Amino acid sequence: MNVEEYIASGILDSYAVGAVSDQELREVNCLASIYPEIRHELDELMLSVENYALLHSIEPPTGLRDRIASQLTFEEADDNNTIVRPLPLDREAPVAATQPYTYKTTWMVAAAAALLVLFFSYFLITQLQSNQKAMASLREANESMQNELKQTRTSQQQTEQTLAMLRQPGTRTLELRGNDKSPKGDILVFWNPGTKQVAVEVKSLPALPADKQYQLWSLVNGKPIDAGVFDGNLDGTALQKLNRAIAEADAFAVTVEKRGGSPTPSMETLLAMSPTA
Amino acid sequence: MKRQSSLVSESVLIEKLVQRDQKAFHWLYDQYSPALYGVVLRIVREEEHAQDLVQDIFVKIWKNLDAYDPSKGRLFTWMLNVARNTAIDALRAQKSQPSSANAIRTDEENVHVVDRQHNTQQPNPEHIGIQDVVSQLRPDRRQLIDLVYFGGYTHEEAADELNLPLGTVKTRIRAALQELKQLFKS
Repeated sequence: MNVEEYIASGILDSYAVGAVSDQELREVNCLASIYPEIRHELDELMLSVENYALLHSIEPPTGLRDRIASQLTFEEADDNNTIVRPLPLDREAPVAATQPYTYKTTWMVAAAAALLVLFFSYFLITQLQSNQKAMASLREANESMQNELKQTRTSQQQTEQTLAMLRQPGTRTLELRGNDKSPKGDILVFWNPGTKQVAVEVKSLPALPADKQYQLWSLVNGKPIDAGVFDGNLDGTALQKLNRAIAEADAFAVTVEKRGGSPTPSMETLLAMSPTA
Repeated sequence: MKRQSSLVSESVLIEKLVQRDQKAFHWLYDQYSPALYGVVLRIVREEEHAQDLVQDIFVKIWKNLDAYDPSKGRLFTWMLNVARNTAIDALRAQKSQPSSANAIRTDEENVHVVDRQHNTQQPNPEHIGIQDVVSQLRPDRRQLIDLVYFGGYTHEEAADELNLPLGTVKTRIRAALQELKQLFKS
């Protein structure tokens, strides 16, 4: 904007004699606060107009001053007050302005920090929980794997034992099928007449009460000879070596006897029987 | 208006005024009432009315001291503004009443006012009398300033009154003020 042109336009002069619209008044005030040249010119013009107005000065009639004074309220002019009174005001203003601000800020910061700690704690707890879960599931997996490993080892051992027995020359495998008492009864009997070793592998037999066991009998010339006891409820196909030496057998039979075995078989519990030849 | 009193500086005066000190009011009145009364009388042209208005003006000033911002201008500028606006509002209220037919003051009446000046204390430190200024100021320019400043006329109203184009009114006001500026500088 061209300041000289604006000054020459005459608007400042009109302002000085009070002949501008409200909008022009605001415009001039605004521009005067921005441009020092305009401010300076305006001040000079105002001063000229004020001086011109002063030339018309007329002393008002006596008594007008008191008449006006009676309309006004005055404070007692106390010298102490003039010094002291503004001080608390001056002091209060910044205090009132700053204290709640800092007070607020402190609380806001504290609250924010507390929130942060809270969130962090929550985060840590969830982390801990998930870690614990992960640990637990790992432990479980580990246990089940160890179990599986054990089982695998056991079954491997059994397999090896079975294989070892089967590898021995002369080992015979007899299948004992269950009768009507145990239709699903199914046992393999491994017998080596040479080494006199006997072992059974239960494929499926009903589980027995704790005080009962299965007992294997070898029949020689119609006589039952104790060939050892075994359990029917073992997991898997465990090879159970029986600690009886059997040199001869025409047939093998299985009965249910009391735990530890009986000297003579209780024939009513005969489950399975199979001839060796 | 540069009235530099060795006794009271303006900022001290304002401080005392804000404290509603009676002595400060007396000082303010003694200092400025001739100027305000003169302007108001020049506008409303009736002494009793002017005195009532001066009372209203001082009450207004007293009540609105907090609205005065020293950074925006001198105290006298502000007071003169309050006085002129109050008086012009009163004049307009008068004009809107059909009973009084107030015409613009003629030079004859001006002489009457000027004559009264002889018995009054001259407030201006340079002692420039109104006659000195009036005699030096071109009549057509003075007439226009009086119409606008003391009559509260707008540019358009002044152009109608004086049968002048609007542009001429604006340039003439500027010329008049430049002339005044030179007169007071010298």
